[in-house]
Amino acid sequence: MELTAPRSQLAAAVLAVPGFVVLLALAGDAIGTSVERTIIVFLISLTAIAAMGLYSGNSGILSFGHLSFMGIGAYAAALLTLPAQIKGATLPALPEWLAVIELGLLPATLTAVILTMTVAGLVGLAIWRLDGSAATISTLALLIITHGILIGWRDVTRGAQTFFGVPRDTTIWVAAAGCVISLVVARLYRDSACGLRLRAGRENAIAAAAIGISVPRERFIAFVLSAGLMALSGALIAHFLGAFSPKKFYFTDTFFLLAMLIVGGMTTVTGAVLGAVVVTLLTELLRRLEGGLDLGFVEIPQVFGTTQIGIGMLILLALMRRPEGLAGLREWEEWLIPPRRTAVDPKPLSPAESDPLDAISLTKRFGGVVATEEVSVTVTPGEIVGLIGPNGSGKTTLLNQLSGVLRPSEGAITKGGKDLVHLPPHKFVDAGIARTFQNIRLFPTLSVYQNVQAAALATKGGRDAGARVAAALERLGLSGVTETMAGNLSYGDQRRVEIARALVCQPSLIFLDEPAAGMNREETDALMEILRKLNSDLGIGILLVDHDLGLINALCHRIIVLNEGKLIAEGSPEEVRRNPAVIEAYLGTSKKETR
Amino acid sequence: MKHILIATTALSIAALDAQADELKLGLATAQTGGLAPYDAPVVEGIRIAVDEINAAGGIGGKIMIEMTEKDVRSDTAQTSISVQELVDAGSEAIVLPCDADPSIAAAAIVASAQIPAISTCASSPTLPLIGGDYVFANFPGDNVQATVSASWAFEQGMKTVFILYSPDSQYTTMPLYFADVMKSLGGEVLGEATYNIGQPDFSAIATQIAALDPAPDVVMTSAYEPDFPTFIKALRAAGYEGQVIGSDGIDSPTTFGLGDAAEGVVFSTAGHATEGSPLEGFNTLYEETTGSKSETVFNAVGYDLVKVLEAAVVAAGSTEPQAIRDAMANLEDVQGATSLITYKGTTGMPVRQVSLVRVKSGERELVGQPSPRADLIPAPRMQ
Repeated sequence: MELTAPRSQLAAAVLAVPGFVVLLALAGDAIGTSVERTIIVFLISLTAIAAMGLYSGNSGILSFGHLSFMGIGAYAAALLTLPAQIKGATLPALPEWLAVIELGLLPATLTAVILTMTVAGLVGLAIWRLDGSAATISTLALLIITHGILIGWRDVTRGAQTFFGVPRDTTIWVAAAGCVISLVVARLYRDSACGLRLRAGRENAIAAAAIGISVPRERFIAFVLSAGLMALSGALIAHFLGAFSPKKFYFTDTFFLLAMLIVGGMTTVTGAVLGAVVVTLLTELLRRLEGGLDLGFVEIPQVFGTTQIGIGMLILLALMRRPEGLAGLREWEEWLIPPRRTAVDPKPLSPAESDPLDAISLTKRFGGVVATEEVSVTVTPGEIVGLIGPNGSGKTTLLNQLSGVLRPSEGAITKGGKDLVHLPPHKFVDAGIARTFQNIRLFPTLSVYQNVQAAALATKGGRDAGARVAAALERLGLSGVTETMAGNLSYGDQRRVEIARALVCQPSLIFLDEPAAGMNREETDALMEILRKLNSDLGIGILLVDHDLGLINALCHRIIVLNEGKLIAEGSPEEVRRNPAVIEAYLGTSKKETR
Repeated sequence: MKHILIATTALSIAALDAQADELKLGLATAQTGGLAPYDAPVVEGIRIAVDEINAAGGIGGKIMIEMTEKDVRSDTAQTSISVQELVDAGSEAIVLPCDADPSIAAAAIVASAQIPAISTCASSPTLPLIGGDYVFANFPGDNVQATVSASWAFEQGMKTVFILYSPDSQYTTMPLYFADVMKSLGGEVLGEATYNIGQPDFSAIATQIAALDPAPDVVMTSAYEPDFPTFIKALRAAGYEGQVIGSDGIDSPTTFGLGDAAEGVVFSTAGHATEGSPLEGFNTLYEETTGSKSETVFNAVGYDLVKVLEAAVVAAGSTEPQAIRDAMANLEDVQGATSLITYKGTTGMPVRQVSLVRVKSGERELVGQPSPRADLIPAPRMQ
C-alpha cells in the first residue's frame, strides 16, 4: 500500500494507537466493575467514531446514516451467535439454515462485516454521485430506511421488540482489539493513496477532477470501508449489551457519536480520540454531579438532564471557538514530530507525446447567453499559445471546455483522433491535458508535497509517483517548502504549486489561466523562465490566458484572440498586434470616435 | 484532566457513604430521553413512598431507605453501566426502567450479583421470564389486562370479537391475549387486522369491520395515541356501533376529549380512585407533598413499587438481597395505592387488580375492579 505521510510521523501514529488502547484496557481491567463497563462503552464508541470519521472526515460529507451499518452489523453478528435454542423460542420464522447456525464471536463478526460492506456497496452505488448537502440528506434517508427495515423485518429482527439472549462476549480486551483495528485502519486510510485522493476531492472537487481523481469513486471506497468498521462496532455493542432493539441504532445515538466527532474534529483520527475522551469525561463528571451530592460544606441538588445540557454547551463552544474541532486539521504527530520523508531521486520527466488537440466549432450556451460561439482552435505540444481577449470574452469558458470542466453545447474536441467531448472531467488528464485555475484551486489543508503527490498518485497509474513529485517540485523551485500547508503559502508560491501539480501529471499540454496574476515583476520573470524551460526541455505545449500582454508577447509563439465569445484573430504576436479587429476589441470602435 | 479524575473519584466516594440499618435502594431509571414520560412519574411516586416510610422511622420502624438515583438517559448501554455502578455501590434492591431493552440488558448484571430488580412499569409479561429469577415487573401484565377486559365483555353477553393489533411492539399485541381469553371462555373471534404504529389512515380497516355480517359484539385494540384516536374516528364514521375496548395506553386526557367518537369506550387500567380507596388516599398525599394534583396513575404505580419492597423486607426480616428476592417472590396481597399485589405463584409478573373504566360524556366512569381468574390468564408469548 502506498502511504503518503512522512514515515517518521505515521509510524508514531500507528504505534501510539495500541499503546493508548491497551493502557486504557489495562486500567479498566484492573479497576473492574462499572469503570470497566464505562471503558468498554468508550472503546466501542471510539470504534464507531473512527469509522464515521474515515468517511465524513476525509470526504467532507457529514453522514447521519452510519448507524445503519452499526445496526446491520449488530443484528447480523447477533443472529449468528444467538444460541439455537433461543432462536427457536423467539424467532420461529427464521430460515432453517439460520435457525441452526451458532458461530463464535470472531467468525460471526467477520461475516457481519463482510455482509455490511456488501450492503454499503449497493447503497453506495445508488448515492455515490451525490455531492454536498444532497449526499448528507441521502445518508439521513438511509438511516430512516434501515430503521424501518429493522422494525419491519420481524421474522429476523423481532421488529421493534428487544432482541435478546445474545452472548455477552465483548470483554474489555475484545472491545480494545476492535478499537485498535478501527483506529489503525482509519489512520492508515487517511494517508493511503485512496485517502489522499479523497481528501484532495474534499478540499476542491474541480481541481481534484482536473488531476485525474474520480471523487465519487474514492467516496465509494471510503463509504464501504467505513461501513465495515461500523459493523464491527455494531457486533461489539450487541455482544456487550446482550439485548437491544432498532432504536439503539437511530437518531439519539447518531447525534451522540457525531457530537464526539465534531467536538474532537472530523478530519483526523486524533480528533476522533480527543472528542471521545472529552465527551466521555464530561459525561461521567456531570452524571455524577447531577445525582445530587452532599459535599459536607455544600449540598448540590439533584438535577437530571445536566449531562445533555453540558454536552450541548460543549458542542456549541467547540463550534464557536474551534470550528475544526479540538484537534484542528492535523494529527497529533503532524504537530509534534518533524516530517522526514525518505529522499527519492527525481526522475527526469519524460518528453511529452505530440498529438495535437483539435477543437472544432465549440459553442457553449448558459441559458440564453452564448459564452463561446463556434470557436475552433488547435494546440500542439511544443508550442506556446496565448489566449487573450477583453473581460467576459469567453477565455475561461473556452479553457474549461478544452479541459473537460464544462461540456460544450455543440462542437467536437479530439486529441490524436480520440474523441474527448463525452469523457468525464477526470479522464482529460489521461489524454495529456493538465491545467491551473484562474482562482487558485489548491488543496489548502494538504502540504505542498501532498498537493503534488495526490496528482502523481491519480495519474499514470501512480507509477514512480515519488520520483515524479520530486522532479516537479524541483523544477518549480518548491523543494524547500514541501511540508508547508499549501493554504499558508504566498500567492506566487501557490501559483507555482498549482503548476507543479499539473506538471506531475506528465501532460503534453498545460493550460494556465492567468498564472502571473498577483505576481510582482521578478516573480513573473521567473515564471516565464520556468514555462520556457518546460516547453523547450520537455516539449510541453502551453495554452496561456493572461491579461499581462507583455508576458504574452514575450512568451507566445502564437496568439488567439476572443471577443464576445467569437474567435476574432489568430497569428503571431506581431500579426495580432496589428489586427484591426483586435485593436477595436481592446480600444473600442473607431467609427464612434470619428462620428 | 488529572483534576477532573480526582474530583470524580472524590465525588464517588462521597456518594458511597453509608449507614447501618438501612436498605440501599438503587434507581437506574430514565429521567431524560424517550422513556422519561413513564419513568419520571413513577420515580416521583417512589420518592413520596420512601419519604413517607422514612418519616415514620423506616421499614418496620427501624430500616431507613437510602436511595441512590441514576439517570440512564433512556439508553441501554448507560443502563448497564449505571446498574453496575449501583451494584458496586452495594445496592440491595434496584429499580429498572419501564422499557424491556434496558431492563433485559441489566438483567444479567443483577442476576450475577444476586440482587432483586423491579422494572418501574414494563407491562410485557415476558420481561421477568427473560430476565430470570431476579427481575420483577410492577405493572399489570398485558395478559392480565386482556383477561380482565375479555372476561367482563363475555359476562356482558358480548361473545364475538374483532381484534386490531400491531406486531410493532409487545404492548400492541395485547389483543392476541384478549382473543385467547375470549376463545377459552367460549366466544368467537370473527376477524383480526394489523396496523403499523403511526399509521396515518385506518379507513380500510374500519370499513372491513363495519362490513362484517354479523357485526362483532366487540372490537378490541391496544392502540394508543396517535393511532387510537384516528382508528376510533374512522370506525365510528364507517358505521360500527358496537362496544370498543382499549387498554391503559389510552388512559390519557386525549381520549376523554374525543367527544362522541370515544363515547362508551371501555378500557383497562392500573387503578381508579373511588371514594375512600387507597388510590384516593395516595392522590391526597401526592397533592399535600407536591402541591399539585397527580395527573397520571404512574405516580401511584411508583408508590406501589416501594410498598412491595417494604413488604418484602418485612417478610425477609433482613436487607440481604437474596432474602429480599425470595420474600418478594412469595408476597401475597400487598396493599398498594392502586391495588392488592401478589407475586406468589407467578414468574415475577404481579397479579394485580385491573380497573375497567368507561368514557362517559368526557368523564371517567368506573365499570369495575375485578380480579382476573388465574386459570384464564394466557401464558406469555415470546414472539
